[in-house]
Amino acid sequence: MAEGRNSIIISIFSTSSGNGKTVTAINLAASLAKEGYAVCLVDLDLQFGDVTHYLKLEPKYTITDVQMALANKEPNFDVLNYLTRYEHVEDAGNGVEFFVLARPPLIFDAYEIEVPVVEYILNSLKWFDFVVVDLNAAFSALNLAVLDVSTIINYLGVVDFLPSVKNFKIGYDTLLRFEYEESKIRLVENRSNSQKLISGEDVERLIGNKFYHRLPNDFRSVSKSVNAGLPLMFSSPEADITKSFLQLAAEYTNKQTAEKDTPVVEENKGFFARLLSKFFG
Amino acid sequence: MKYKTIIVETNKQMTDTLSATLRKAPNFELLSTFKDANSALGQSRIYNPNLFLIDVDAPQLLEMLPAFVDLFPKAVILATMSNWNAEIAYKAQKAHVVGCIIKPFKAEEIIETINLYQKRGKPDPSRIISFFSPKGRSGRTTLAALLALDLAEKTKESVALIDGDLQFGDLPIFFDLEPRHTVVDATHDIKLLTPVSFAPYFHKIKENLWILSSPERPEYAELVETDSFIEVVKMAGHIFRYLLIDLPAGFNPISLEVSNFADTNFVVAMINTGLEIEHMRRTLDMFRERRKKHKVDYPIFTRVNPCNDEEREKLELRLGYPITAIFPNEYNLVSVANSGRILYGLSHDTKLMQTVDKLSDRIISGDL
Repeated sequence: MAEGRNSIIISIFSTSSGNGKTVTAINLAASLAKEGYAVCLVDLDLQFGDVTHYLKLEPKYTITDVQMALANKEPNFDVLNYLTRYEHVEDAGNGVEFFVLARPPLIFDAYEIEVPVVEYILNSLKWFDFVVVDLNAAFSALNLAVLDVSTIINYLGVVDFLPSVKNFKIGYDTLLRFEYEESKIRLVENRSNSQKLISGEDVERLIGNKFYHRLPNDFRSVSKSVNAGLPLMFSSPEADITKSFLQLAAEYTNKQTAEKDTPVVEENKGFFARLLSKFFG
Repeated sequence: MKYKTIIVETNKQMTDTLSATLRKAPNFELLSTFKDANSALGQSRIYNPNLFLIDVDAPQLLEMLPAFVDLFPKAVILATMSNWNAEIAYKAQKAHVVGCIIKPFKAEEIIETINLYQKRGKPDPSRIISFFSPKGRSGRTTLAALLALDLAEKTKESVALIDGDLQFGDLPIFFDLEPRHTVVDATHDIKLLTPVSFAPYFHKIKENLWILSSPERPEYAELVETDSFIEVVKMAGHIFRYLLIDLPAGFNPISLEVSNFADTNFVVAMINTGLEIEHMRRTLDMFRERRKKHKVDYPIFTRVNPCNDEEREKLELRLGYPITAIFPNEYNLVSVANSGRILYGLSHDTKLMQTVDKLSDRIISGDL
């Protein structure tokens, strides 16, 4: 499992896609890098991963090349040679650098990636302080293998919509049933202050655990960040969501930043609390 | 009403078994039995039958089904087979017979079968429509649910939804129901089922609309073999006139096979940061390259703002494919779906429902 490896693996997991895994993975990676850690971001959303699109990277190699190199038993193989470097430096010398292992270019190739190859890769990235893994939204053999070796499972949910709440709950129960330690699973609520009818507190009561962190809703800043191909810290340095990612990184590195969570104001609608208990007992 | 019945059967022993059954049954009158199609076609007229039981295990009888339908348009024609065979059932449906029944059967089963197919609607082959999305949060399930409701209402024919998103299916919650049977049971039992015994696996949501739910735990998805799932789709496609299948996000064996098998595949993505257009393009490329048979996949974008022709053209230019439909955002929809009230539908005044309306018209007319 995690034996003989110093790097911390943080996997970004959720049970429905399109709820901010990639945004979280990239900005968490950037925030950790900003603190001076060596960070590698691995895009394991093999079919539709957006890491390279988001960062406007043109990778020379992808995970498919790693698999081929391993299959061909290439001499002097080193996974570090297959990573794509991301660097952004502002005028004032303020910048970050981290590495990316890109997903296969073709959807069909995503099918071919084997679980032991991924395990091997994650274990070979021990040069890094942090390995952030962007997963897709399913319980697959690949995802479970990654969750097994992860130090922390950053379990992300947008809980504004009843089916999403149901899937968040089912996913969490499943993780516990699969015997992942509760302390390893960190519940992170995304878009926590968006206009919605279901309160975060109701969700906490439902799943029987507290959110470890709450990321605020800021569609404008996220869109700006994606369009510019820059992590939030450069595209919207002053935004609450940027600070929230820096805080999340600080929590994972045990460095507490001065600023505390932006308070999340929510309106509790009794009707939905009842509805939730109806569905989930 | 009395079923004045003609048996057309090549197997002598089966003819005797079925004749004995019908002679004992109060609602049936056995007029005659025939071994071959020509005698049956030529001689049955003098009896004025209203029910034919035609053995389609025999290829020559299967071929002659259209002649029976032509000559006896008012009679109920059931194709009889010793074992369920989806391909033969499909051929029978193409010949516009009422339905299929598995031999041997009791008289009550004939009545149950006729009732089942009467609910089905026109004796035409089914429409099998799959809903694929590259990623989740695409509006895929919402679209499938709204289209199913609209098709059921407009056609008065039978419509079924299968929740193929086996790990995280949302259809039960959309319709606020706790199903007794799920896809897991159906795929487990399918080899032993007949149309009449399979129909109760579907939960009736409202008039003409049924659903087969996803299992309650994600790991149960592991129990579902792709081949069995396709068998479920085939038999369901036989029982229901319109079959809509909500697929899990992304490519996996089930989503690939089902979208291959369906006659119409909608690919749904929600406009958010713009990266979705790239996902859609890669998905359509993948389908175009990997399809076993030539087929068009229909891209649909949801939450398009502004939702007008100009925006659609812009999207098409970026996508490089024609777009079948664009849907506006409907804020009201979230609260409707949240509360399980989708069943009662949304107001038809909204742009979203008008778009659903147009899409279902195109499905019904065969344009899609």
